[in-house]
Amino acid sequence: MMRGSLTYDRVLNTLAAWALAILWILPLAYAVWTAIHPAAYEARFVLTAPLTFENFQRAWAAAPFARYFLNTTLLVSLILACQFFLCTLAAYAFARFEFPGRGLLFTLVLLQLLVMPDILIVENYQTMRLLDLVDTIPAIALPYVASGFGIFLLRQTFLTVPRELDEAARVEGSSALGILWRVYIPLAKPTYLAYGLVSVSHHWNNFLWPLIVTNSEETRPVTVGLSVFSAIDSGIDWSVINAATLMTSGPLLIAFLLFQRQFVQSFMRAGIK
Amino acid sequence: MLKSTLLKAVATTALTFSTWASAQAVDLQFYFPVAVGGGAAEVIQGMTDEYMANHPDVKIDAVYSGSYQDTVAKVITASRGGNAPQLSVVLSADMYTLIDEDLVVPFDDYLTTDEEKAWLAGFYPSFMENSQTGGKTYGIPFQRSTPVLYWNKEAFKAAGLDPEVAPASWDELVEFGKKLTKKDANGNVTQWGVRIPSSGFPYWTFQGFAISNGVTLANAEGNKTSFDDPKVVEALQYFVDLSAKHGVMAPGIIEWGATPKAFFEGESAIILTTTGNLTNIKTNAPFDFGVAMLPEKEQRGAPTGGGNFYLFKGASDEQLDAAVDFVQWITAPAQSAKWTMATGYVAPRAETWETEAMKTYAAEFPQVLVARDQLEFAKAELSTYQNQRVTGFFNDALAAAITGQKTPEEALKEAQTQADAVLAEYR
Repeated sequence: MMRGSLTYDRVLNTLAAWALAILWILPLAYAVWTAIHPAAYEARFVLTAPLTFENFQRAWAAAPFARYFLNTTLLVSLILACQFFLCTLAAYAFARFEFPGRGLLFTLVLLQLLVMPDILIVENYQTMRLLDLVDTIPAIALPYVASGFGIFLLRQTFLTVPRELDEAARVEGSSALGILWRVYIPLAKPTYLAYGLVSVSHHWNNFLWPLIVTNSEETRPVTVGLSVFSAIDSGIDWSVINAATLMTSGPLLIAFLLFQRQFVQSFMRAGIK
Repeated sequence: MLKSTLLKAVATTALTFSTWASAQAVDLQFYFPVAVGGGAAEVIQGMTDEYMANHPDVKIDAVYSGSYQDTVAKVITASRGGNAPQLSVVLSADMYTLIDEDLVVPFDDYLTTDEEKAWLAGFYPSFMENSQTGGKTYGIPFQRSTPVLYWNKEAFKAAGLDPEVAPASWDELVEFGKKLTKKDANGNVTQWGVRIPSSGFPYWTFQGFAISNGVTLANAEGNKTSFDDPKVVEALQYFVDLSAKHGVMAPGIIEWGATPKAFFEGESAIILTTTGNLTNIKTNAPFDFGVAMLPEKEQRGAPTGGGNFYLFKGASDEQLDAAVDFVQWITAPAQSAKWTMATGYVAPRAETWETEAMKTYAAEFPQVLVARDQLEFAKAELSTYQNQRVTGFFNDALAAAITGQKTPEEALKEAQTQADAVLAEYR
């Protein structure tokens, strides 16, 4: 009896998981289908449809994607490096140091989570102009480097590190920064990995702010290149758009597939789901 | 051989220096949106480069700025950030918004000679309706369009209609539509008679029907709308009846972006969409097609649409003079003809249509003339102060009526009340 209900439960679970997985993969499958077939087969799913690579060629030729890929790579690396550095230090301070105004400051950091970045576009633009950074990659990155989410996440992780480890390192003569480097950061690795993935995919996809703050080919990311295909006056050419989408999201997809196991595990450990 | 190469190098260097010397260079930044496919961005970049080659004292940085919506966001942000471009192409319907934000300067101050003033009169008056207000000219027409009907001649033949004659009136549109709507044995429609897109910005496609019914949706001051005028209600009732009563159009909201494709694939025999699509349809339609003006009721009628050049505050007089000169050059016949042929946008000056290039093109492809001829009957695209909000109310009303949630009258009354509340302070 007990056993029967367990298998029943299991079957339901498996079915639901498959249903969700298929639902999730459908858009991707459709993108692949349209990207590798001529436009005439966008809505006709015939197995014998001729394969073509032309959509990718047209998409690649429509914008300087090679340069855009380089820019996006530089951008997400810059953001991630700065975020790791700043958020680690801030989170360590909030987690392990007593100082006046700590509660208030941490509340301010949390408040940042409530503010939609789009509201601040004009303010941010003025700041970038003041710093004379308009039309540079750092200008795209700067508003995001002090991430409230990153500080919060790392602080929560650091708080779970047993005090005893901290004290033991101190007895051994380690400095505060030495403890951070040798004790806290290694223990928070899964959190870094999970946060890194969220950050990279978010900034890889960001469009409006980079479009507004940059003007030249040398600074613009792939999403701006992708936007030339959303030509509303002349209808939508799904084959080329999907080829371009696959092309631009490809590196992320491949990276995710390669590191899938690590990502899933770190998400479980870091408690972000 | 070596000597001649050397000489050439010296000459080039000398030339570069002389260019440098004359280069009290004026720097201009120019934002442009792209709303059609087919390499429109490259065409603009190419024309800008050509201008700079002929005017070494002017340096223009042409910046692609996304869709029309992205462009307006970018231009407003940059202006508020103290870094406005000198020149930008923005929707003609955004004129009141840009004036309200105090971001633009009129062209009039930079058109001083009689010749330059006469130049303004060379644009089609219907394009100038959205470009002038309070006696000033804020916009110069560039990538302008108007909706037209495209019809599939093969489908007309198959339905026993004359393939050379398009529906000319509202009644004919229904009558032809009924003949063109085909069903399979199970009663499922395999070909719709008519397809009028209603997603995103339904006010624009609908406006053609309001105007042909003899009514304009907003006044020239941009501070009063007439959404609940009985003639607007009548036009909306007709629009709704196309699917609800006559069954010649698919029910519900019809996607704008998928409309050309639906035409190519024979899903609909008559479509209504922008002339900005002309080159796309010409390239991709696998059958013979015709282009016609929108059907008439009391009169012919259509809205205009698309983007104008605007001059922005914060630039020096020297820069704005150069910007105006560039605008005059790019709207001149040779450039304008090239732009129209590349995209399908309507050349905004009559003289462009007199060039050899355009005449040859029109002789081969007479469909291109329809939009121009329709301009005689065209009116300004719906545009008011607080344009996004006001057209938003109107779009919501149209969607509610099309999906059958409200009657046309209820929906439009409500939109009018909402618009009045917003526009009262501008009267």
